[in-house]
Amino acid sequence: MRSRKRLPKADEEPETPERPSSGMPELEPGAPTDLELMLGIQAEDPEALAQLYDRYNGIIKALILRVIHNEAEADDLLQEIFMEIWNQAKNFSAQKGKPLGWMVTLARRRAIDGLRKKQAYARAEERLQRETEQQPDAWVHNATEEEIAVSDTRVLIRRVISILPPAQQQAIELAFFRGMSQREIAANTNTPLGTVKTRLELGLKKIYDGLKELRDEL
Amino acid sequence: MNFERFQNQARLFVIGALDAEEISEFEKARRKFGQKAEDFIAKCYTLSEAFALSLKPAKASDQIKARLMEMVRDRKKA
Repeated sequence: MRSRKRLPKADEEPETPERPSSGMPELEPGAPTDLELMLGIQAEDPEALAQLYDRYNGIIKALILRVIHNEAEADDLLQEIFMEIWNQAKNFSAQKGKPLGWMVTLARRRAIDGLRKKQAYARAEERLQRETEQQPDAWVHNATEEEIAVSDTRVLIRRVISILPPAQQQAIELAFFRGMSQREIAANTNTPLGTVKTRLELGLKKIYDGLKELRDEL
Repeated sequence: MNFERFQNQARLFVIGALDAEEISEFEKARRKFGQKAEDFIAKCYTLSEAFALSLKPAKASDQIKARLMEMVRDRKKA
């Protein structure tokens, strides 16, 4: 059986301050890896979940907020998602990917489910329509000059994404953050379905290729 | 479906962008390519990670973690 590093209790060290702006949390030397924390959760160690929460709550909440645009609902969903991580950890397999990819997939699905259930869905649609008209390349517009100057994982990723033409960025944004099917994207953007498919395929391939150099860090 | 086409579809699959009628064809190809397909899909999840990491982290309410850990402890006791 694989041995795990001992996980320090939360009160052994000062509370971690607010997460720095870097996208990918930097681990202290000797800190358990994400995989070790997942193994800890599979072994029903609450401390492993606490540490995984500390490490990724900011990223997961940002993802939820990007989907549902409501602070209070995002907090509720964040709690539910980490509870689901605890409950579903046995379904995680390192052979199928990294813990973060698994968590993001789970969180995104829950957030999109939440969005669809909301009575305010129609309002979100209207907002989306406005955003689509006003800033189709939201990924690029969200980055401030200060952020771009900081060479961290998030900025590097955004640089990769920003290389795409706005139409490809928009198609990926609608698919990933809005959970839209290709047909829904076509209908929402008044674009032929074949064009949407091409934009998604080309855009994702470019990002995938662009991320190859970063992959080891992710 | 050749492997290059499968790779394109796999990238769509991991971000949930495959249409329903494409999924069965994708799953068929996935079985055909076996471990090679699974290895590629695992790599594609890097895309999901990257999209999440491209966002500026958001501050969660301080109460969330306390409530979460209380729920976990209750679940363990049950």
